[in-house]
Amino acid sequence: MMFILIVFLPGIAALIAGLYGRLLGDRPAQLITSFAVTLSAILSIVAFFQITGTDEVERIQVLHWISSGGLDFSWAILVDPLTAVMFVVVNGVSALVHWYSIGYMSHDPHKPRFFAYLSLFTFAMLMLVSADNFVQLFFGWEGVGLASYLLIGFWFDKPAANAAAIKAFLVNRIGDFGFALGIMAIFLVFNSVDYATVFEKAPDVAGTSIGFLGMELDTLTVITFLLFIGAMGKSAQIFLHTWLPDAMEGPTPVSALIHAATMVTAGVFLVARTSPLFELAPITLGFVTVVGAVTALFAGTVALAQNDIKRVIAYSTCSQLGYMFFAAGLSAYSVAIFHLFTHAFFKALLFLGAGSVIHAMSDEQDMRRMGGLFSLMPLTGTMMWIGSISLAGIGISGVFGFSGFYSKDLILEVAWASDAFGANLAYWVGLAVALLTALYSGRLLFMTFHGKARASQSAMAHAHEAPLSMNIPNMVLTLGAVLAGIFAVHGFTESEEFWGDSLFMLEESVAILEAAHHLPFWVKMIPVLAGLLGLLLAWYFYIRRPDLPAKIAEANRPLYQFLLNKWYFDEIYEALLVRPMKLLGYALWRIGDGRIIDGFGPDGFAALVMGLARRSAALQSGFLYHYAFAMLIGVAVLVSWFLFFG
Amino acid sequence: MILSAIAFYVFAAIIIASAVLVVSARNPVHSVFFLILAFFNAAGIFVLAGAEFLAMILVIVYVGAVAVLFMFVVMMLDINFVRLREGFLQYLPVGALVGIILLIELVFIVTTQVNVPEVLAISGAPTPNISEVTNTHALGRLIYTRYIYLFQAGGLILLVAMIGAIVLTLRERPGVRKQRISDQVGRSRSDSIEIKKVSPGNGI
Amino acid sequence: MPQAPVPDILPALPEIWLAVAAMLLLMVGAFRGNASTRMVSWLAVVAVAIAFVLVLSGSKETGTTFAGMFVVDSFSTFAKELILVGTAATLVMSMDYIRREGMERFEFPVLILLATIGMMMMVSANDLISLYVGIELQSLALYVIAAFKRDTLKSTEAGLKYFVLGALSSGMLLYGASLIYGFTGSTNFEAIGALYTQAGQEPSIGLIVGLVFLISGLAFKVSAVPFHMWTPDVYEGASTPATAFFAIAPKVAAMTLLVRVLIAPFFGAVDDWQQIITLIAILSMGYGAFAALRQANIKRLMAYSSIGHMGFALVGLAAGTEQGVQSVLIYLLIYLVMNIGAFAAILTMRVKGQMVEGIDDLAGLGRNNPMLALVLAILFFSLAGIPPLAGFFGKFYVFLAAIDAQLYTLAVLGVLSSVVGAYYYLRIIKVMYFDEPAESFERPIGREMTLILGASTLFTAFFVVFPGPFLAWTQQAAAALLP
Repeated sequence: MMFILIVFLPGIAALIAGLYGRLLGDRPAQLITSFAVTLSAILSIVAFFQITGTDEVERIQVLHWISSGGLDFSWAILVDPLTAVMFVVVNGVSALVHWYSIGYMSHDPHKPRFFAYLSLFTFAMLMLVSADNFVQLFFGWEGVGLASYLLIGFWFDKPAANAAAIKAFLVNRIGDFGFALGIMAIFLVFNSVDYATVFEKAPDVAGTSIGFLGMELDTLTVITFLLFIGAMGKSAQIFLHTWLPDAMEGPTPVSALIHAATMVTAGVFLVARTSPLFELAPITLGFVTVVGAVTALFAGTVALAQNDIKRVIAYSTCSQLGYMFFAAGLSAYSVAIFHLFTHAFFKALLFLGAGSVIHAMSDEQDMRRMGGLFSLMPLTGTMMWIGSISLAGIGISGVFGFSGFYSKDLILEVAWASDAFGANLAYWVGLAVALLTALYSGRLLFMTFHGKARASQSAMAHAHEAPLSMNIPNMVLTLGAVLAGIFAVHGFTESEEFWGDSLFMLEESVAILEAAHHLPFWVKMIPVLAGLLGLLLAWYFYIRRPDLPAKIAEANRPLYQFLLNKWYFDEIYEALLVRPMKLLGYALWRIGDGRIIDGFGPDGFAALVMGLARRSAALQSGFLYHYAFAMLIGVAVLVSWFLFFG
Repeated sequence: MILSAIAFYVFAAIIIASAVLVVSARNPVHSVFFLILAFFNAAGIFVLAGAEFLAMILVIVYVGAVAVLFMFVVMMLDINFVRLREGFLQYLPVGALVGIILLIELVFIVTTQVNVPEVLAISGAPTPNISEVTNTHALGRLIYTRYIYLFQAGGLILLVAMIGAIVLTLRERPGVRKQRISDQVGRSRSDSIEIKKVSPGNGI
Repeated sequence: MPQAPVPDILPALPEIWLAVAAMLLLMVGAFRGNASTRMVSWLAVVAVAIAFVLVLSGSKETGTTFAGMFVVDSFSTFAKELILVGTAATLVMSMDYIRREGMERFEFPVLILLATIGMMMMVSANDLISLYVGIELQSLALYVIAAFKRDTLKSTEAGLKYFVLGALSSGMLLYGASLIYGFTGSTNFEAIGALYTQAGQEPSIGLIVGLVFLISGLAFKVSAVPFHMWTPDVYEGASTPATAFFAIAPKVAAMTLLVRVLIAPFFGAVDDWQQIITLIAILSMGYGAFAALRQANIKRLMAYSSIGHMGFALVGLAAGTEQGVQSVLIYLLIYLVMNIGAFAAILTMRVKGQMVEGIDDLAGLGRNNPMLALVLAILFFSLAGIPPLAGFFGKFYVFLAAIDAQLYTLAVLGVLSSVVGAYYYLRIIKVMYFDEPAESFERPIGREMTLILGASTLFTAFFVVFPGPFLAWTQQAAAALLP
């Protein structure tokens, strides 16, 4: 019952707010959704303690969904430790975002719709994480995609928001295409889409090959590769990342909930969930590692050059997701999920803090027109500092660290200890990115809160600390950003029982994880040093010598442009894909549809029909002998037919 | 047998020739004459087949009544047949083509097909021996027994034809003086004359 | 020479009753004059009703009489009932019309009765001769009815054209019959059927050609392309009740006769006649759809519509299966009801004491007379074959039968032409609802008309709810026919 409530409370709330929002009015719609999700979050925490650390797996069948030939599955809620963790993350962040949004969206005329979307998203995400088969997973997967589309385009009168929503949807669709193919391949190979059956049979399938695109490839490699393409789309990994920064056009709470804490981590969740398959496909794992590492580096560099406060955080998210993926690629699924868990707190905090800043600055997002805000909004400033330090992974091994310290360090340690494909690359890239992370975090903080105020007088006069309704959720998240690491690190990564059977690791992978915990102190401290160095550099560049960044940018103009323009990904896509596609579409529309299909189809047909009609009617001349002739000719033709062909 | 065969072909040839002339003759009166000729020859074929009753009926009804009626109609109505025939030649090639094709095909069918024994075994009404029963007698027996249904239906058709003719042509013509024999016969003296006493010098 | 037994006249009782009634009514009319026309009409309706009861209460068993020339079975019973319903509806619809149009003469109902007898004889024909006699009785009466409005040029022209072309078609039919007789030695359907089904004889080419002629003659009666040419002119020229009559009962009679002729004696030659029927079905559907597109006169439009509809019915016949025959019967039933309704509506189109026939005259009916417009819309939607109205089911069963018989091309072409055909029915609805209103029609339309319109519309709209009895009935009728 509890699990059903956890999953369905947000769904019901979404229905109520969405369908009867206008009837209820703003305030009740907000309260219904917020309370429903909060209740769900509280129950999630209860469930978390009940499920984790045991072998207990709850499976509640909601309904028998489809039974068609060999395809037979139910709609069920599967709760194992992995799901329980995700429940906490999703519902926890979602509940806080709901409360935060009450303040943030106070000037918006469409509040019930917004809250309905938020709850709908939560429901879809819960469907995703509680699925017990791939089709239900896909259903939730598409559900969150839909909710994300709706929320990015929430301000539908803003053209940029509409474009971003469509972009997000389309790019995700490319990933989903791979994902859907993966599910079909699974059904083809295993003749089932149930997790239990598939994972059980996976070892038998390992080593077999399957024909794909005319090549004979290892079955599990193909399947996991296809699934990973889906994960790349949803988790904004390199090549399919372009939608995420644009998605910042949506309201900031949405960015916090969907594009930082929950939905984008669905890809990581997918890899962890299907670890029994990935673990048996080392080639894919290598690919995952490389993609994760490259994404982390790419996004970290781009974040350095961005001026929009939300975009910096968005690229940071992208980069952190890269961390999670290369952890997963190195078979340290528990570590990846651990980083997901801590990241949810501090990244949501950073977004919501940024939201407070934007709110205070009357929707100004450009950091170049901020600065010196700390004195005006000290609470938000402090919390942002804590979030950033957590993100930068500052802490002292064995004593205390912020959340990010534990998870990020562990990832790097695994990379150090592992000898899997790409582990070396991952380590060095990870280390570099740790420096970059601290650098851009510091840059964000210094540009926003310290130094000279660059905003106009009136804007500064108007700036104020966020209202309590927005600050309380932030405080809760701050608490998480500080403490989640130290409390959870043991359970998530060291305990044998915590995950039950939900994550699958081969013997050697377990050994590596074990080794990662027992590295020398100095190895554990290198990333922290990198982080501190980054913060120091940021201080030097943006407080001490604010003229320096511009000079460096001037000196390395091409590099700066390269970073500012996000490695030119959008431009390349525009030139290589979007424009040819548009041209093709235009050609198909004008020539294919307009001239050929319409010309020979509807229009031509209509003309043909009317012509035939005219001629048929003309046959009816009114002359008797014409009629008699027609009859005779008819008879003659029929008789001839039978004589010669009958 | 040869004689009858020769007779048949002569009759048949004349029928076809006169049928062609019925259609092609310029003068409608000639057409009717050729029609009558065709009827006579058809009657001849009936006689050859031993159906003398039908032959007589054909001559009496068609020649004696129908054709003569035609003749009257043609002569009384001043129809310009030449104008009606305008454009006749225009369609002649097509018409002839269709007709010839049909003719060839039908000839082909009738000549190549051999009747199968089972088919011949079934026969319609048993034909009585012509030497025992006269033609008229045999027809009469069949018409009023076996074919009573058709006979009655034929009667209905004639009734419809009669009604149709009356409906389409009979018009009330007011002001036309018609002879009503019943009125004439039923006239009494009192209806027609009245005796008045006329006193001299007064008038009526 | 043996004495022929006295034939059993009981199976033919409805026909005999109608013949007697027709003659009695003729006497009544002859003695009471044209003033009695209304009474004669009502009496004719009563006579038809009694005949209906007689048909219904007749023997359910298949039986022949009159030396095997006349057959009564479930098939003929069903067809006769359709015909009688159509006749009664026509009689009722025509009463007001013939009085208003100055053609109130007692012969009109009598001729309709006589034509009905002819149709019933056609339906019961079990012999080539009785077939011909039935057709002639029916046709002759119809020629006269077509020309009945003798003072208008159009009507006389219609009658004359109908007569001349009808004579030509009768010639073909007789020629075909004589060929068939020549190649089989019998005119009796059972005997012919026995020869070619039980004896396993391959049908000879002569027989097939005879059949071609016979089918051509009958196709004229159902106005299937290319023997349809008379239809539009006659429909337009004849008075509207006459047109209604032509479109309703004789079509049912001729189609059922065609079905019987092809199924009962010539089932063995199904492969051969299937080709002909398929061809004329395609031509009829196509022509009916295309030629109607540009018509402005609603009676002419209904002529093309009935050509098209007969094409659809022929699709079922082309299947040559029991299911096919059943689908034809369902089609005829639905066709009959829809056309009764449509013509009843056309008969209410009067503006300032004048009948109008233009489609434009319907403009704005949706505003002038919403009830009539609704009724017409339902009927035309149904004629177009739009679900869930009855017309859809007619087409549905027919196409289903064709598909089951693997006549896919035919079914596809049929669906295509029904799409084209839907255009002109929908155009009428568009004119009624979206065009600027024209002069509104005279009201009231009369109680009888309201009744007929209401009944046919209700049937059309709610056939979907109770198709069961009709399906069972037609199933039984079809089963009686097939060997």
